[in-house]
Amino acid sequence: MKQYNKITPEGTKDRLFGECEKRGGFVRSLRALFESRGFREVSTPVLEYYDVFDTARAYFPQEGIYKLVDHDGRILVLRPDCTIPIARLIGARLKNERGPLRIFYHQKIYRHASGHSGLSGEIAQMGVEFVGGDLPICDVEIVELACRSLRSVCGSDYQLELCHIGYFNALVDSLNTDPATREQIRELVEHKNFPALDLLLERFEGCPAQKALKKLPALFGSVSVLEEARALFSNEAADRALDALADLYNALSSLGLDHLSLDLGLVNQADYYTGIIFRGYTAGAGEPVLSGGRYDELIGEFGPARPATGFGINLDLLCERAEGTAAVPPPRAAVLVDAKSPVTEAFSLVERLCSQRFAAELIPVRDTRDAPAPEGFDRVFRVVDGAVKEG
Amino acid sequence: MNRTIRMALTKGRIEKGAVALLEAAGYGCAGLRDKGRRLIVPTDGGEIDVVFAKAADVITYVETGACDIGIVGKDTILENGSSFYEMADLGIGRCRMVLAAPKGSDFFSGYAARRVASKYPKIAADYFSRKQLDVGIIKIEGSVELGPVLGLTDAIVDLVETGKTLAENGLEVVETVCEVSTRLIVNIASLKLRKTEIEEIVGRLNAAKEAGA
Repeated sequence: MKQYNKITPEGTKDRLFGECEKRGGFVRSLRALFESRGFREVSTPVLEYYDVFDTARAYFPQEGIYKLVDHDGRILVLRPDCTIPIARLIGARLKNERGPLRIFYHQKIYRHASGHSGLSGEIAQMGVEFVGGDLPICDVEIVELACRSLRSVCGSDYQLELCHIGYFNALVDSLNTDPATREQIRELVEHKNFPALDLLLERFEGCPAQKALKKLPALFGSVSVLEEARALFSNEAADRALDALADLYNALSSLGLDHLSLDLGLVNQADYYTGIIFRGYTAGAGEPVLSGGRYDELIGEFGPARPATGFGINLDLLCERAEGTAAVPPPRAAVLVDAKSPVTEAFSLVERLCSQRFAAELIPVRDTRDAPAPEGFDRVFRVVDGAVKEG
Repeated sequence: MNRTIRMALTKGRIEKGAVALLEAAGYGCAGLRDKGRRLIVPTDGGEIDVVFAKAADVITYVETGACDIGIVGKDTILENGSSFYEMADLGIGRCRMVLAAPKGSDFFSGYAARRVASKYPKIAADYFSRKQLDVGIIKIEGSVELGPVLGLTDAIVDLVETGKTLAENGLEVVETVCEVSTRLIVNIASLKLRKTEIEEIVGRLNAAKEAGA
C-alpha cells in the first residue's frame, strides 16, 4: 500500500512563516486600499454546483475543474474562478440592491495543475467587482485601482496593459463567418500565432477587416497603436471601442498614472468580457499577476442584468515574485517558566511585555534557575518561584 | 538592469537548423556550435543566452518565464500546449505527423476496436476524436514502428521526414495528421515587458528565414 500521509497533493504546498507573513503584508495593504474606496468584503463557498460554471457567458472549460459528486448525485466543483460565483451571488442574493455595489474578496481558486508542470493548483486571489456602473468613469475607477494595487505591492516595477474587446468583435463581425471560425481566429490572435492566422484569413481576401486582423496580434505597445488600428479598419463599432480606449488612456494619464500600455490583441475569454479588458505584469512572473475587465452580461445569467467590471490579483505569483515590503516583526521576549512558577506572575509579565509591543512567549523548562537562555530572543525573563528576574 | 534575454533551444533534430538560422540572423554562433557540455551558452555578441533543452522542457521554460523565447517543433506544442505566444514559423525542421499502418492493411475498415502506438498520445487522441473514431492509444517512448511489427497495435501516429523507416518496417502512410515545422514561441509577460528586444530577435529571425527561403 502506498502512503500519501506525509505530502500534499500535486499543485499545492504548505506555506511557512516568512511566506505567510509576506503574503499577510500584501493582503493588509490591498485590503486597506479597497476599503478606503468603499469596497466591502464578501466570501463565497469553495464548493459550488457545476451548473454555475456552465452557462453561456460563464462558460469554463471543464478539463481544468476539480469535481465531486454530492450525496444526491449532483456535480460539485471546487471554485475555479472568483468572479462567476460573485456574479451568482449578486444575481440571486443582491438582486434588489439597486445602487452601485462595491465588492472585494480574498479567497482561493482551484484548477487542475497537470503533470508536474510546476504550475499551482491552488491560487490565492484578491480582487474587486464594481457592479451597477457603466459610465466611462467607472472603468477609470477600476483600472486606476488596479494600478494602485500593483504599485502598492510591486513599487514601480509593473506594467498595466489595456484592450477593448469591441475592436476585435467589430473586425470578426464584419467577416460574417461561422462561430467555429470566429473562435479559431480569436484563439490565434490571443496566441499571437501570425503564420496560422495568415493562413486562416486567406479565404477572406478582399474583406476590409482581413488586413487589420492579420496585424492585430502586433498592435500592442504604446498609445500610437490606436491610430494604427483606426487606419487599418474603421466602422461605427470599431471606432467606438477605439475612442473608449483612447479616453480611458488619457483619463488615466491625466491622473498621473504611467506604466500603461495597450494590446488590441488581448482577446482572452471573449464571451465573458464585453468592453475594456486589462492585465498587469511584473518582472520575473511569467504570467500576468492581475487581470480584469468589463463583463456587462455575466450577472444577467443569474438574475437581472447589471453592468459590472472588476479585476483579480494572483497573490501567489505576487508573493513569489514581488520583493514586497514585509512589516518588521516585533522584538521577541522569552518568559521562562517551570512547574513552580505561579500562573498569575507569568501572565501579568506576558501582558506587560505585550503592552510594550513585544511578542512574548512562555518557554517551559525544568528549572528556571539554571535553564540556559533560549536563542533568538531580544529579552529573556525568568519566573523564579514568585519573582521575576531578567537575564 | 534586466538580465540577458534567454532562449530555450530544442536539442537534437532542430538544433542544427536553428543555430544556422541564428547565424544567418547575425548572431555569432561559434560558441553555440562548440558548446561541449555546457547547458547555457551566450551568442558570441552576448545578445542572447541560449539554453539547450529537451523539446517538452522548452515549453515548460517558456511557459513559466524561466526563458523568454523558445525554439521548438509544432509537434511538441500540439502535444503539450498551451499559454504562450507562438509568433513565427521558422520554416526549418519540416516534416509530417502521419497515421501509418502495415502495407496493404485497411485501417479504417471494419468494426473491430483499433489500437494505435504513438509518442504523441494527445495529438493522436485529438486526431481520432476529430474523426469520431474510438481508438485505444498506447504510449511508446522509443521506436513506435515496433507496435504493428510486434502485433501490439494496428497502426502508429508518428513524425515522418523521409518515410524510409516506415518502408523498412513494412509500414505505409494512411493519412497525414498535420504538418510540422519549427516555431518560435515567446513568454506572455516577457513580450510585454521587453517588447523592443524581443521584437528585434523575432524580426531578425523572420528576415533570415525569408532570405534563406
